[in-house]
Amino acid sequence: MLKKFLLGGILFVWTHGAIATVEREKAEAFMTEIGNRVITLLTNHSITQQEKAAQFQEILETKFNVKAIGKFVLGRYWKHASAEEKGKFLDLFMAATVACYATRFSEYTSEKFEVIGSRPEKDGGVTVLTRIVRPNGQPILIDWKIFEKKGELRIYDVILEGISMSITQRSEYSSVIQQGGGTIQALITALEKKAGRQRSR
Amino acid sequence: MISLLKFKIWTWLLLIRLSSPRRRGSSYGINVKRSLLVRASLAFLIFFSLPLSPSYAQQDAWSYTDDEQHPGQEETLDAEEWSEIMDSPPSAEDNDPFEPLNRLIFDFNAFLDMILIEPLSRMYYDLVPEFARERVGYALRNLSEPVVFANNILQGDLEGARITLGRFIVNSTLGVAGLFDVSTDWDLPYKKEDFGLTLASWGVDAGPYLVLPILGPSNARDAWGRAGDYALDPINWWSYYKNKGVYSYTRTGVQILDAKTENLELMDDLKKNAIDFYATLRAWYYERRKDLMHEKEERVALDTPRPDDDDE
Repeated sequence: MLKKFLLGGILFVWTHGAIATVEREKAEAFMTEIGNRVITLLTNHSITQQEKAAQFQEILETKFNVKAIGKFVLGRYWKHASAEEKGKFLDLFMAATVACYATRFSEYTSEKFEVIGSRPEKDGGVTVLTRIVRPNGQPILIDWKIFEKKGELRIYDVILEGISMSITQRSEYSSVIQQGGGTIQALITALEKKAGRQRSR
Repeated sequence: MISLLKFKIWTWLLLIRLSSPRRRGSSYGINVKRSLLVRASLAFLIFFSLPLSPSYAQQDAWSYTDDEQHPGQEETLDAEEWSEIMDSPPSAEDNDPFEPLNRLIFDFNAFLDMILIEPLSRMYYDLVPEFARERVGYALRNLSEPVVFANNILQGDLEGARITLGRFIVNSTLGVAGLFDVSTDWDLPYKKEDFGLTLASWGVDAGPYLVLPILGPSNARDAWGRAGDYALDPINWWSYYKNKGVYSYTRTGVQILDAKTENLELMDDLKKNAIDFYATLRAWYYERRKDLMHEKEERVALDTPRPDDDDE
């Protein structure tokens, strides 16, 4: 009995560990690939800024699960949004995220993107730890929360210096909604205004 | 709901009537008594009408947007997975009962930042080479190690105290008065501690969010923490007893400049991408403190987005 139990335990630990490492390696490779793609894109001076933005959008659409993030970010308000509001919000959220990363990377000079490790999480995801080494200043630590769904890896959260972007955004959006009288339309309007401002810049 | 509202308006009218002073036939004493009574009932009314005020009504607001209004909408959520997020009251990072006052101070700080701190910081960044700025940063950090040490001890973290003491000795001597961080290469890494974190380790809750003039985001606990750190700092004792407050002020000034310059890009980025910068910073501060609190232990799994059946 004891032997069986022990054997079972060892087997469990062994297989458990094995699965975790395979996933972690996969996740790390996934992040390295994205990092390299983004850097190639940024250092490519032969394409226009618009083409760059379009390619960014493509990376974002295929590598991030924007819908899951958008849903999380809208928090308790998601349930009460109409299908139309949900669609509108997700489009705007996507546009805002693209614009955000576009400005973030437009100042890119000679930073280096490095994958430094990963760690399995209790909820089944893997967090890949990376850092951006800057020519002047401390390196910036960015963690990426990755889940596998239907054999495909996707990014579900970006954790900048220990701070989850999704949680920060959820709090911000809920504040905007509350200040606007509790309607999701208030947030949609604010996002539209923001998008307009960004386009005019 | 409506009858309650009517009741409220009616009572208000009554109270206004009562509180308007009678011109004739009333002695001073009665007036005082009456105004006391009026005040008491006003306080009572305000207290009990809180649940009807707009901010409290938010939670109820959803009763208006029931599914009849959106007949095409289907319930696609996996209830168990999302109930925590969806049905929870505003999360801890939104604990902000003094929001109007906080926003006011926030705007004041932003103004001060615009006219004074940011121009100074940009100047510092442009004029002083990175090497020199880094030396200043390390020297400031070295001067703060005694406070970190005191907090290590207060938290009962002897291992941390050993590291901090080692850092302080090595960096103050071999690191030329802290200008160079030699000890990080010797496996004595820096770990920020302050009295706010010590209070947290004693089980004190963050309490309501506060924006402090000039100093910025904080909360009830961390504001006390700042006072505690000030009291724990030998440099402050020294400048106090020698009557040389100017050292302590100068140091604080340079600290603000250093922190500001170090975070210039990050803050720019946050501000540019926020639609409500106040709320962003509030959540940011909360998460940052939580991260610092848990850095020592095993990291807590963040409650972050995750896959469900409806996210394609």
